[in-house]
Amino acid sequence: MDFYLNLINTIGIHTMLGLSAYLLLQTGQLSLAQAGFFAVGAYTAAILTVIFQWNIIPAVLAAMLLAGFLAFLVGFPALRVKGLMLVVATIAFSEFVRMFFYNLKWRVTRDGEEIGPDGTMGFAEIRYFSDNGWSNLDVTLFLWTFVIIIMVVVWWSDNTRAGAVLRAVGEDELAASSVGINLTIIKVSAMTVGGFIAGLSGGLYAHQVTSLDHHSFTVLLGTFAIAYPILGGLSNVFGTLVAVIFIQGLLVEGLRFIGDWRMILFGLLIVLAMNFKPLGLFDKQTVSMVKRAMRLKT
Amino acid sequence: MDEFFFEVVEITQSVWDGILFGSTYALIGIGFTLIFGAMGKLNMAYAGAAIAGAYVGLAVSMLFDAPIILVFVASALVSTMMGYLIYQTCFRFIPTHNHLAALMASVGGLFLIDEVIVHATRGSPLNFPAIFEDAYFEMGPFGIRGDLLFVFFIGLVSTVVLLYVLFRTRLGIATRAVAQQDVAAQLCGINVHNTNSITFSIAGLLGGIAGAMTAAAVGVLSPVMILPLTIKGLIVTVIGGLGSIPGAIIAGLFVGGLENLFLYVRGIDERDMYVVALLFIFLVFRPNGLFSKTITRD
Repeated sequence: MDFYLNLINTIGIHTMLGLSAYLLLQTGQLSLAQAGFFAVGAYTAAILTVIFQWNIIPAVLAAMLLAGFLAFLVGFPALRVKGLMLVVATIAFSEFVRMFFYNLKWRVTRDGEEIGPDGTMGFAEIRYFSDNGWSNLDVTLFLWTFVIIIMVVVWWSDNTRAGAVLRAVGEDELAASSVGINLTIIKVSAMTVGGFIAGLSGGLYAHQVTSLDHHSFTVLLGTFAIAYPILGGLSNVFGTLVAVIFIQGLLVEGLRFIGDWRMILFGLLIVLAMNFKPLGLFDKQTVSMVKRAMRLKT
Repeated sequence: MDEFFFEVVEITQSVWDGILFGSTYALIGIGFTLIFGAMGKLNMAYAGAAIAGAYVGLAVSMLFDAPIILVFVASALVSTMMGYLIYQTCFRFIPTHNHLAALMASVGGLFLIDEVIVHATRGSPLNFPAIFEDAYFEMGPFGIRGDLLFVFFIGLVSTVVLLYVLFRTRLGIATRAVAQQDVAAQLCGINVHNTNSITFSIAGLLGGIAGAMTAAAVGVLSPVMILPLTIKGLIVTVIGGLGSIPGAIIAGLFVGGLENLFLYVRGIDERDMYVVALLFIFLVFRPNGLFSKTITRD
């Protein structure tokens, strides 16, 4: 049971990570910086609960705000860099954040033992959940409350004018600005909100895994973050969720059926998926097909 | 006074070694820039193909107990074929305007190559033979490593041959034509897909040489080399200017030298942070890199 709860937690966290990249991709900004904001959220929340003994909710919210603020700062220089150069710049940013935390050493002695991030040794002992008597099910419900809130927010954005504005900027900047959309405000806002979501999921992640290691925050994580919305399709929130379930399910559960070959299959599946469905699994065609099928049944 | 002189000698030695090693970064940068110039897309699987080529070259030398030069030739040839394969599987069938799908597909290709290598070698690093490892020239207080000099020499020869092919042969004209304006090139009777495949193959050749040279200079071959090589290659490409070959060369040597300087001054933990900071400085002051595109429209 614990194993499945763990899987469900991972799916929740990765869904939020994917959704943070989803909003940015809609505006046409291909950002691999989500891993960086995720890392900032994780370390901030962990430092707040471990070193400063904060309660979990304010810690996670503070982590969210800090990551969002960092994203806001990143959003402005990101405007200067177009297209694929933004990919490289955000990869570099994520690596910089990762290396910053790799070198961060802030040890505090409390009750006779040393706690806090220990530079190259990582940040262990993030024991808020176990110290406060949370069961595994409590953790899962807590986590998924946030996931559902974020999913509702993004779904709402998709179905109102906000989503239309984001997509307009993504499809054609010149046309969008000619109808009066302020490109700077929209793109920086998208980056900031993406940072909020990534920071939130990072803060939750830190407490769920109880120990942070810089290896978790490499470009690979950033790649996963954009893989979910691209594979799932940029037209629908559920596409990202399905992509996360599929990929995480394959990576974790696939161990039973295909063993070590699951990672090879993973790469192969991505290549095949992009060749056959370049707009993602849940592109507009598929979504309307599903809707039509559902209408025929009722 | 002696101390100061010693420091200066040490720093100059580091920078000089770095510049020689930077020729590998220059080759990787040229590969990325060629593909970007031709198709406007990034091939994230590029360093993977380069290292995979080095692995096969090593396997060939272990199977046949052949002279070392065969290792390098085999690596280059295998990477050429992999470059061709990557084009066919990740880029050929995806619509030209869809950058996300091509990027994602090449990321999938990168995962695939990485996992196949890990599977084949069971994750353990292998020793890679060095060329001229005993050669060491002394010039006053400075020493020049023979193997690094050979690496630099091979890089130089490869670049000269590449420039000859690009600017003095019909194939080169076709490549540059497709890079400038692929529709017009098609109207002139140039087969765009064939030309792109050849561009990818040439890039693969350069990558294979770079991969073999990197492994020879470091002495070890391991899949963990793929990601840092990708990131450094991308940084070099962006600093040099996407689409510019001279830019990639100069940026490669520049990054190589500075990297060693950072290593000497701040140590291995912080070295990469400064390389990334260098990229950010360039993006702020020269977002188009040192040179803008030379193989596409000016």
